[in-house]
Amino acid sequence: MKIYSIVFASLLGATALGATGANAQSTPACTGETVTLRILRTPGNYPYPKPMEAWQKDNPCVKFEVNEVPFPQLADTISVQAASSNPPDIIVYDGPNTQSYAAAGILLPITKYLPKGWDDDILPATKAEHSYNGEVYSPGIEQTTVAMYYNKKLVEAAGVKPPQTLAEAWTWPQALEAFKKCQQGPAGAATVWGLGPTRFGNGQPGLVYQDLIYQRSAGDPKVAPTSSAYKTFWAFAPDGKTAEGYLNTPEAVEALKFYQSMFNAEGVAPKVGIPNAFFDAKACFYIDTPAAGNALIKDPKIEWGITPLPYFKTPVVHTGSTTFGATARSKHPEIAAKFVVDMSWGEYAYMNVSQRGNLPTLKSLFSRFDVYNKYPMKVFVDQLQSWGQPRPPGPKFAQYDKIVSEALRGVAFGGNPAELMADAEKKVQRILDR
Amino acid sequence: MSTGEQTLTVPAGAKTRPRKAATRRQKQERLVAVGFLAPFMLLLLIFQYVPLLVMARNSFYDYSLLNPAAEKFVGLRNFADMIEYDDARRSFGITFLFAFGVVVFVIPIAFALALFLDSKLPARGLVRTMIMLPVVTSSVVIATMWSFLLDPSNGLINGALDIVGIARQPFLTSTQQALPSLIAMTLWQQVGFGAILFLAGLQGVPSELGEAARIDGATRWQVLWNITIPLLSRTTLFVVVIMTVFSLQAFAPAFLMTQGGPQEATNLIVYHIYNTAFIMQQAGYASALSVVLLLVVLAISMVQMALLRSRWNY
Repeated sequence: MKIYSIVFASLLGATALGATGANAQSTPACTGETVTLRILRTPGNYPYPKPMEAWQKDNPCVKFEVNEVPFPQLADTISVQAASSNPPDIIVYDGPNTQSYAAAGILLPITKYLPKGWDDDILPATKAEHSYNGEVYSPGIEQTTVAMYYNKKLVEAAGVKPPQTLAEAWTWPQALEAFKKCQQGPAGAATVWGLGPTRFGNGQPGLVYQDLIYQRSAGDPKVAPTSSAYKTFWAFAPDGKTAEGYLNTPEAVEALKFYQSMFNAEGVAPKVGIPNAFFDAKACFYIDTPAAGNALIKDPKIEWGITPLPYFKTPVVHTGSTTFGATARSKHPEIAAKFVVDMSWGEYAYMNVSQRGNLPTLKSLFSRFDVYNKYPMKVFVDQLQSWGQPRPPGPKFAQYDKIVSEALRGVAFGGNPAELMADAEKKVQRILDR
Repeated sequence: MSTGEQTLTVPAGAKTRPRKAATRRQKQERLVAVGFLAPFMLLLLIFQYVPLLVMARNSFYDYSLLNPAAEKFVGLRNFADMIEYDDARRSFGITFLFAFGVVVFVIPIAFALALFLDSKLPARGLVRTMIMLPVVTSSVVIATMWSFLLDPSNGLINGALDIVGIARQPFLTSTQQALPSLIAMTLWQQVGFGAILFLAGLQGVPSELGEAARIDGATRWQVLWNITIPLLSRTTLFVVVIMTVFSLQAFAPAFLMTQGGPQEATNLIVYHIYNTAFIMQQAGYASALSVVLLLVVLAISMVQMALLRSRWNY
């Protein structure tokens, strides 16, 4: 009898506590029709629960149904779900795909929903990437770019002093000397690599986001548009109609020979991925986004610093991040567009950006992130504002990205740069001609 | 002439056998059979045959998965593109080479293993477990494991080569070595299945034939060559066809280990189809490639069946 009384009392207590919690989290009651917005996103990505809950207080009739897929499967899932009879209302996707999705009629133009002052506040690279035919399709929340991290202990032991400002940034040949000095073990089979492998994809080299920068930086945007140096910098015709003459240029081939040597003759970078190589002190230098710096701030496994990304002739870094948009075939386009725009503006945008620690897309938010106002993370802000360029945008970006990444990987693995880039140009053209 | 006047002419000597009406029990049995078969046949129809028809229809259209409503009829253009551009030719060529490599090595090794398992030699249980483990392990696990083994810098195989003084090999990053590496991995994975099939065949061969030959003075080798191998031709045919079809449909190694590279050296046709549909967004062209693959698999299987048709029965 005594046991029953205790169990009963416990249940009563738990119920009372639960009820208290429920009251504390209560939101204003919905007086109209309830709307459910279906969101497709990647795990750990925005929109984050805190700003969503805050938004729901102002919009009590809106509920969310969130579906998550890993990033490598995201584009495939969008391809399948966007064409279904019941597509999601909001999709999180890789920013450079905006024009592909806009051209295919998947995304809803949101220009008319944007708040006053958005045009002046947004980073130009973000606006360029998220616009198509004069309409904005995604407001963006975060912006990223890459810089070169270094392991302080290892580079100091090698007597290397990496620059900390854009004005002093290394050229690639200078960076190569630093990699060689710092590397431990034989070339091509190091115990500590000069330049660690990427954490993107399967860790192999060749990604457009990270490795097309080599050849682009060998170009020059200030010379005549008909010159090969100009075309090398842009890597794709500005009107998006051709890649021929933009990838296989003398400047690009020279840069790619250098790029190839790092994985082969010089042997300072591995050809395959090594998980956490930089964080486990198995690499002196490492190229990554601000996400790596934020992870190291939270858990400082190693002493680290950041140096601006090296270049050949013109410093350049790629911008772009995952972003989100409302779908054109959403059953609730007005509410979906309102949610998307709200989440990327003002306090909601701050809440979303501060969750993961990437850079904001709104200039007005930079001052609110102390970490980006001083070295080392300030390098990212400086690069973004002075050197940032979107990856060659266009409605066929996904195809361009795949073809050029494969060509770059082929170069890293020892293929002929001129032949591979000529082949990539042909393949891109075939896609564009369809 | 009225219909009632029509008569059937029966050749002289021919006996007419009036069809017996099905008994109640036979009718019930048929009904039960249909009941058991119906769910599977329905699934087969919905998930196999209808998609095949849709695929055949889509091969005449140009469309992207992002916006299938904007499809346009292009007639035979997708098939013409296979001839005009070299991607299909190269991918099919690589796939045939891969299938050939797998079959050529799997058959003799699987047969040798089956002979060992059919003998009275020790450690048969251990060997059976060892060769069957890869068969029942997920392809994803195997591909990941082999990626680590073949790693050019830190892989176990290169470590072993290094110890014996052989230079480290770029197994998965060299255009010459990537395909043979995938063949080696697939061989390791599939040989157990082939061995078990051969073992089943060996255990079905009547022992009297071999014993009689031995009494007549035949050596073990002569028995194997002149009796066992010919009598196993049905099993051999089955293993060859199964291994060829498996190899032509291989996807995981290219997807997980090499992404079709380097320089398309391992761009197996199924991976190429996936890439064409989902990344290149040319679903119509991918459908046309699938149609051709289906016809190629059918043709190869038929040729193999004709060439390896059994001449001996037991």
